[in-house]
Amino acid sequence: MSVTPLISGKGLTKVYGNFVALADASIAVMAGEVRALIGSNGAGKSTLIKVLTGAIAPTLGTVEVEGVIAPLGNPTEMIARGVACIYQHSNLAPAMSVLDNIYLGRQPTRGFGLLDRKTQRANALVLLERHGIDLDLDAIVGALPTVKQKEVEIAKALALDAKVLLMDEPTGWLAAADVARLHDTIRTLKARGVAIVYISHMLDEIFAVCDTMTIMRDGKVIAESAVKDIKRPKVVELMVGEKLARDSAGAALVGRKPRGSGAVRLGVQNLTKRGVFKNVSFDVHAGEIFCITGLIGSKRTEVMHALFGSDQFDSGTVELDGKAVKFGHPAEAMAAGIGFVTEDRHREGLMLGLKVTDNLVMATLKKFWRFGLLDRGGIERSAKKSILDLNVQPPDGRKLVKLLSGGNQQKVLLGKWLNLSPRVIILDEPTVGVDVGAKAEIYAILRAERDKGAAVLVVSSDLEEVMTVADRIGIMVSGQLKAIHDADKVTMSQVVNEIGEAA
Amino acid sequence: MKARPAIFALLLFFAATTGLFSLFAPRFATASNMENLMSGFSFVAILAIGQAFPILVRGIDLSVGAIVAVVGMVTFDLSLMFHVPGFAVLPLVLIVGTLAGALNGALIVSLRLQPFIATLATLAAYRGLVYSISGRQLVPGLSTTPITDKWITGLENYFDIGGMTGLSHAIAMPWFPLSFFVMLAVLAVFQFILLKTRFGRDIYTVGGNFEAARLAGIKTNRVIIAAYSISGFCAAMAALLLVARLTTSTEALGTGMELSAIAAVVIGGVSLQGGTGSVFGPALGAFLLGIVLLGLTLLGVSQFVQQILTGVILLAAVSYDRLLVLRQQRRLKANLAAGH
Repeated sequence: MSVTPLISGKGLTKVYGNFVALADASIAVMAGEVRALIGSNGAGKSTLIKVLTGAIAPTLGTVEVEGVIAPLGNPTEMIARGVACIYQHSNLAPAMSVLDNIYLGRQPTRGFGLLDRKTQRANALVLLERHGIDLDLDAIVGALPTVKQKEVEIAKALALDAKVLLMDEPTGWLAAADVARLHDTIRTLKARGVAIVYISHMLDEIFAVCDTMTIMRDGKVIAESAVKDIKRPKVVELMVGEKLARDSAGAALVGRKPRGSGAVRLGVQNLTKRGVFKNVSFDVHAGEIFCITGLIGSKRTEVMHALFGSDQFDSGTVELDGKAVKFGHPAEAMAAGIGFVTEDRHREGLMLGLKVTDNLVMATLKKFWRFGLLDRGGIERSAKKSILDLNVQPPDGRKLVKLLSGGNQQKVLLGKWLNLSPRVIILDEPTVGVDVGAKAEIYAILRAERDKGAAVLVVSSDLEEVMTVADRIGIMVSGQLKAIHDADKVTMSQVVNEIGEAA
Repeated sequence: MKARPAIFALLLFFAATTGLFSLFAPRFATASNMENLMSGFSFVAILAIGQAFPILVRGIDLSVGAIVAVVGMVTFDLSLMFHVPGFAVLPLVLIVGTLAGALNGALIVSLRLQPFIATLATLAAYRGLVYSISGRQLVPGLSTTPITDKWITGLENYFDIGGMTGLSHAIAMPWFPLSFFVMLAVLAVFQFILLKTRFGRDIYTVGGNFEAARLAGIKTNRVIIAAYSISGFCAAMAALLLVARLTTSTEALGTGMELSAIAAVVIGGVSLQGGTGSVFGPALGAFLLGIVLLGLTLLGVSQFVQQILTGVILLAAVSYDRLLVLRQQRRLKANLAAGH
């Protein structure tokens, strides 16, 4: 092993508006090293990877390949330096063949830009043979199932014959046998001296194939270690943060109210959507916070959309206060007193270019109609009250929402729904991209709603959050609700085990 | 790339429409009507072939009609005001058209404008330019002088293929206009480029998944500028054919042609979502449009109703395109579910 790392990033920082996605992160990977990159959602792993591939330019910091400083934010240059990546999201051209996609942008030519189909096909066949990947080269990528598309993506990265291979959750869609094959490929590449960075949420995979690991949290690199020198519980603790873990252990002792007032507010029985989720049953009581957790892709969000009427389900029943309901449209759910704070606040929740006040009253404008005109005074008063209740910083209703920090944006979004005085409030990943302080405030708001008698249903992948805020916990695995626990009678490691059970 | 069912469906529809009009429209299935079709819609087909490129990279070029006018007027000025010989005029004006297209592309990539807005702006600007350089207004009396340069007027020519091959003894054959052969040549060249060159593949990649193209190291800006340049080039080609036929040019030349071109492209199976289709479809789409319009004329439907129908056909084609996209999304969702 040489002393110069094949690829290294130093002091990398990436800021989006008020949100720091990456804070002074450094990483260095040697030839023949398989480095795991782990952390919870929003920890900055994907951002770090994208900076290394040149997909985005960092705000600060440098990237070096074999000790030579590389240009930033230029994917072409990074490819030329032998850096390949399997991105988390599809980077294929759907209308083109598998063959073209494997060599996207670098199909072999015979001069004058004329394609050399023969060489291209021969090279592809050798590549697939060598790595044991089974693909029809003439199939149109858009028509392939996602699993196969992922394999195309892997083949495309391998075709570069790169010195550095970055993988952002490459196994998300793969079956166990395919994962094993990918791991064999990784070992082969490692033996050939390729430097590999491997992002995965599956600790099993990391302990199986990686040599070293970098643990990230809140955009910072918080630990580096050889895999053999570290135990799993320690890894989890580092990922979620020791202090938070302790705090939440403390918080866990106070104020748990499993089943709240005892009255079932929202009853869900055998909810099924073919091929998505199956036989999901749970009750949310008035005055409790019910958290559903599980891995990404376990179809939690899909269940929520089905409940809210923004998507359909095939069978099963939903009851609101004991009465069967089925919402064909979100407006019906809202009229029945259900609020839904969606996961992507930028795309689905807020009008970023409008003022805080306008956003707060958006869902309740009807209340302010006076003879067909809007009662501006009433709106101002209502918004002012929300701003104080939620502690939105700065407490200025005229501020544009896009100028607020992530946490305060989330509070505004929450306030918009709370103004409807919902009897059931559903929140999907309520604190993604929110700093620790605002998180605590949001938890307090949720508890206050609960204590006012609302049924609160939270979907979250952030276990720390679940353990902190939940009265009861439902665990979803691959479209099924596997278990429901009272939060005061279960430990985090138990939950971790159940989440990972079938994965 | 294999011929997709979409093209077969289009051919089938083409045949069915032709058959229907042959049965019901008087004098539709005649040699002279075929000649009308070829001479009247070859230049629309050329515009459609050009328009296919911006649409393939997920854009649109609304300015083609105005580029036709610019090129027409530059031809007029060069030939009649400056007496430039035709063999020099032809390449010069093709360059003018290509540059006008390249400017569209450059605006879109450098100012990050939406193609619809950028080309709507250049549509107005180019049309205004035509009036300000119009030799018809600058030099009194020129407006009634026809262009007589053989290099230019020679583009309006007809070939009696039937007579030459002796086929006309067996069946009444139309005389083929030169513009039809020019269209075939343009079609062959650009279809070849799309299917057989790296640049062609890059066009599909940029249109199909822009981010993937960027990350694969494709020079996306260049590809987009090239796509609009091709559209400009084809507009110049069409303009030359029109000027040759009219032996003059007017300020209003090409007005509204962008609509026919876009309609032909969408009818020809190029998705407005970018990344799918070819240039064969749009060329066929132009003639399909021609058959419908000529057929309706022969049936006695008024010109105004025909304009309405062009709009309706465009709407239908776009809705169909949208339907395909929705269906594809649903299939993708099903795939996701099955994959899990």
